[in-house]
Amino acid sequence: MNELLNFSEDELLAIGLSFRVAFWCAIFILPPSVFLAWWLARKQFRGKSIVEGFLNLPLVLPPVATGFILLLLLGTNGLIGKYLDEWFGIKLAFSFYAAVIASMVVSFPLAIRAIRLSIEMVDPGYEEAAKTLGANSLQTFIRVTLPLALPGIISGFVLAFARSLGEFGATIIFAGNISGETQTIPLALFNEIQVPGHETAAFRLLLVAVVFSFAAMSFSEILVKKLHHRK
Amino acid sequence: MHALSARLKVQKGNFSLDVEVNFLKEITGIFGPSGSGKTTLMHLISGLEKPDEGHIEIDDSLILDTSKNWNLKSRKRKIGYVFQEGRLFPHMTVQKNLLFGSIYADKDQQNIHFDEVVDLLEIRGLLEKRPKSLSGGEKQRVAIGRALLSAPKLLLMDEPFSSLDVALRRQIIPYLIRINKKLGIPMLVVSHDLPDLLSLTQELFLLRNGRVEGHGNYFDLIQSEKSLEIMRGAGLMNVIPFKVELHDVENGLTHLINRDASHEIHVERELINDCCKVGDELNVSLRPEDIAITLNEISDISIRNQLKGNITKIIKKENRTYCLVDVGFLLIVSITQASQQKMNLAVGTEVYCLFKSMALQINI
Repeated sequence: MNELLNFSEDELLAIGLSFRVAFWCAIFILPPSVFLAWWLARKQFRGKSIVEGFLNLPLVLPPVATGFILLLLLGTNGLIGKYLDEWFGIKLAFSFYAAVIASMVVSFPLAIRAIRLSIEMVDPGYEEAAKTLGANSLQTFIRVTLPLALPGIISGFVLAFARSLGEFGATIIFAGNISGETQTIPLALFNEIQVPGHETAAFRLLLVAVVFSFAAMSFSEILVKKLHHRK
Repeated sequence: MHALSARLKVQKGNFSLDVEVNFLKEITGIFGPSGSGKTTLMHLISGLEKPDEGHIEIDDSLILDTSKNWNLKSRKRKIGYVFQEGRLFPHMTVQKNLLFGSIYADKDQQNIHFDEVVDLLEIRGLLEKRPKSLSGGEKQRVAIGRALLSAPKLLLMDEPFSSLDVALRRQIIPYLIRINKKLGIPMLVVSHDLPDLLSLTQELFLLRNGRVEGHGNYFDLIQSEKSLEIMRGAGLMNVIPFKVELHDVENGLTHLINRDASHEIHVERELINDCCKVGDELNVSLRPEDIAITLNEISDISIRNQLKGNITKIIKKENRTYCLVDVGFLLIVSITQASQQKMNLAVGTEVYCLFKSMALQINI
């Protein structure tokens, strides 16, 4: 039993890194997903399905392919990455930031979906009422829509966090598998499985992954229930 | 001077609205069956919908003119909108709901203060509560208070009676009358319930299929066949203002007297409750079907209310006959065509209108 809690330094590093990546991923993803979710929930425009299809692409695209696209765009010789390097000396690929970006792209559709659902459940009648009382669109959004959709927004944050903890394919392509820098729990787990005799270590990481994923998903479900309850 | 004048045209699928309306400073009722365009009209006035063509002025300031491409946004129109379902923000307490709009209102135009509104609508006990725990009538009063505190120049009320159950629905009336009288805010009240609307105001606009089919005083309207046709299905009603003359405690009766003191009617004291003092004014409603007509005064009958008058108009609709009788004020009486023929009733005939005091409804 003790063996299961006896984490090595590399494993602890991977766990810590995973949480850091997941945290920053969820934080950075929140503002654009809230905005896009509101836009998709409340506005009708031509080509909406195309925008939706594009935003949902990472949900069905093999993560390895997503990672490859990121590499082509943001890699040191990539379409955008080349200029980032030339002009600002920024090298994104195979860094901590690459791990965060890979996670963000993959979690984006999940966060938008959860937040959009919660905004759609806010009766537009409340927004109309706010407008007749003198509030402009932004004030209405902040004082009425946002608080009423809050459980869904937190749920979107948690989902993005959880999805990031499990991210493997895009990360290994775009960020690599560098211990202490880009090696998150799934990547460390992959390494341990590859090496004969490291089953206990693999099992330790498996346990961590299961416990935290389960906790995050349950929390998200509770928030969704709360949202329904409020209505 | 008109509080609001509007000319509006809009096409929505198969439905089209094309109206011209002018409202005075008092309370105006907009009556129409469902689907007649009442809510669309309210939305257009408040700016929640945009007309294809239109022009709106409130207190002589221009709100909308499509020909000049001028369209003031909802939030800048200073129109309080009390929605049918109240639409109180569920995540805020009553107090926060009430104060929602006041931060956007011009301070110098805010002639109504928080405490005044709270007292007027009797909602002080609710301030810390959430909308969820309020009754229908309480929600509605809070919604009215919230609209008032945004310093509106005009108050729109969408079906204020229909979200309440029958026993409570008329409780809102005295509050509305108080607001109009004390604060001088003109009010537009939309309803498909004619008796309820009439107990609030007799100034009406009749709306059908997106068109104004008549407007003016109720008693003028019922003299037109077209208006009568629209109102008939919704329950015609006599609404007469009376004043309390005396409480006859011994016989358990209250004597009411009409405006020019020409007629007196007697009602059971229970109907009045104890809320009316001598000299108080109240509206009495009476259904046209609850009035009987005789050619002579009848002395050996239990009915005490017998008002003498002349028939001024007879309108036949299907197998009912509506007689308008001038008894000092106008009464609509509904009788069968058979009775009318048998009694040989015609314009000018002198008749007595009989009704039991239990048939009266009192609106304080």
